Amino acid sequence: MECTVVTPQGMLYQETIDYVIVSSKNNGDFAVLKDHAPLISTIDVGYLKLVQQSNVLYTVIVNGSLEYRDGVLTIIAQEAQVGLNKDSAMEHLEEVRAERLELNRQRNIDFLKAEQELKKSIRESQASKR
Amino acid sequence: MGSMREIKQRINATGKTSQITKAMHMVSASKLKKAERNIVAFRPLTKRLSATLSHVLASDNALSHPMLEARAIHKTVYIVISSDRGLAGPYNASLFKAFDHYVKQHHQSQDEFVVAAIGFKAFNYAKRKQYALLNPSVIQVRDDVQFLDFQSLSDTFIKGYLKGDYDKIVVFYNRFINTMNQKVEHQTLVPMALNPDIETKKEEGITSLYVFEPGAEVVLNDLMPMYVVNVLYGMILEAKASEYAARMTAMKNATDNAKELIRTLKLQYNRARQDAITIELTDIIGGANAVN
Repeated sequence: MECTVVTPQGMLYQETIDYVIVSSKNNGDFAVLKDHAPLISTIDVGYLKLVQQSNVLYTVIVNGSLEYRDGVLTIIAQEAQVGLNKDSAMEHLEEVRAERLELNRQRNIDFLKAEQELKKSIRESQASKR
Repeated sequence: MGSMREIKQRINATGKTSQITKAMHMVSASKLKKAERNIVAFRPLTKRLSATLSHVLASDNALSHPMLEARAIHKTVYIVISSDRGLAGPYNASLFKAFDHYVKQHHQSQDEFVVAAIGFKAFNYAKRKQYALLNPSVIQVRDDVQFLDFQSLSDTFIKGYLKGDYDKIVVFYNRFINTMNQKVEHQTLVPMALNPDIETKKEEGITSLYVFEPGAEVVLNDLMPMYVVNVLYGMILEAKASEYAARMTAMKNATDNAKELIRTLKLQYNRARQDAITIELTDIIGGANAVN
C-alpha cells in the first residue's frame, strides 16, 4: 500500500510499503495491513513502524492523524522524525524539541535584557529630554 | 543653508542609511520568498486534515464537538499575531489600530476578553495597554515558526475553551494578498464554521464505511484541537509573509527617499561651493582692480 507522511514542512515520506504498525500513547498499538477497511485514527505521541519487505523504518509522530482508504495510508503530523529504530528516532525528536524550547527561553531572556539595557541607556543619556 | 562641511556630512550619513535600508530590502525579499514557499508546503497538510475531519463528521449525523457549536459569549480570547521587530512600515501599527477599534466597539470592559500575543510587538503592546494576557512570556515568531513555539499557548486556550472559561477565540492578523498588499483581518477560530461541503454531506447523511480507532467521538475529540492549531499555524505563516512584504516595501521607500534626499543635498552642496568660488573670484578681481 501507499504510505505518505505529511508535516508542515511538506512531504516527509512517500513509499510503497507492506504493512504498518501504529503505536500511540492514547490509542495503544495496532497494525494496518493491505486491504484494511477504511480507517481513521489519531496519534498524540507515538511511532509508526513502516515495514517494506526486509526494510524496517520508524517514524516518530507528535500530534498526528492517520487515514487509510483504498490502499492509501496518509499520516498527517505536526512533528515527525524518521529513524532506524524507534528509540533513537524518539530521542532525536525530543532532543530537537528540548533544544528548541531552551533556545526560545534563552532568546526571551536576551530580549528582556537588551530591552532593560536600552531603557537604562536612554535614562542615563537623557535622550528623551533633548 | 548650512556650511559646505555640514552638507557633506549629511550626504555621507544619508548614504550610509540608504545602504542599510537597501540591504534590509534585499534580505526581506529573500525571506519573503522563503515564507511563500512555507505557505505552499503547508497547504497539502491543511487540505488532507480537513478532508479527514469531513470524513469523520460525515460518518455520523449526531456527531458534534463543543468547538463546532456556538454558545453564549462571556469571555473572548483575541490572538494577535504581530512581528518581533519593527521597521516594517505600518505592519504592526495598523494591526493594533484595527484591534483597538474592534475591541472598543464590541466590549465595554476589559474583563470581557483576554489577549494572546504572538510576537514581541504584540506582547509589548498588550502590556502597555494593560490587557489581560494569556501567555506569561513572549512567543517569538521567528523565520522558522514551529508548532512547538506556541504549543503552550494553544494548549491553554484550547483547554480553556473546552472547560468553558472562554467562549470564542478570534485571531487578528495581516493577511497576505500580494507583495504590495496586506490586509488586517480578524477571523473566528473557535467555534469553527464548517465548510459548506461538510455541511451538505452531513445533511445528506452519508454514512461512510470508516472504522474509527478507538471510536468516532474520541477521534473527533483528538482531531478538532489539532485542526484548530493547524488553522492558526496557517495564519501565522500568512502573517509572516505579510511582515516580510511590508518590510520590503517600507525599506524600498526608505531607500528611494534617501536617494532623493541625497540628490537635493548634492544640489545644495554644489550651490554652496559655487557661491564660495564666486565670492573668492570677486575678491580677487576687486583686489586686482584696486592695485591697478
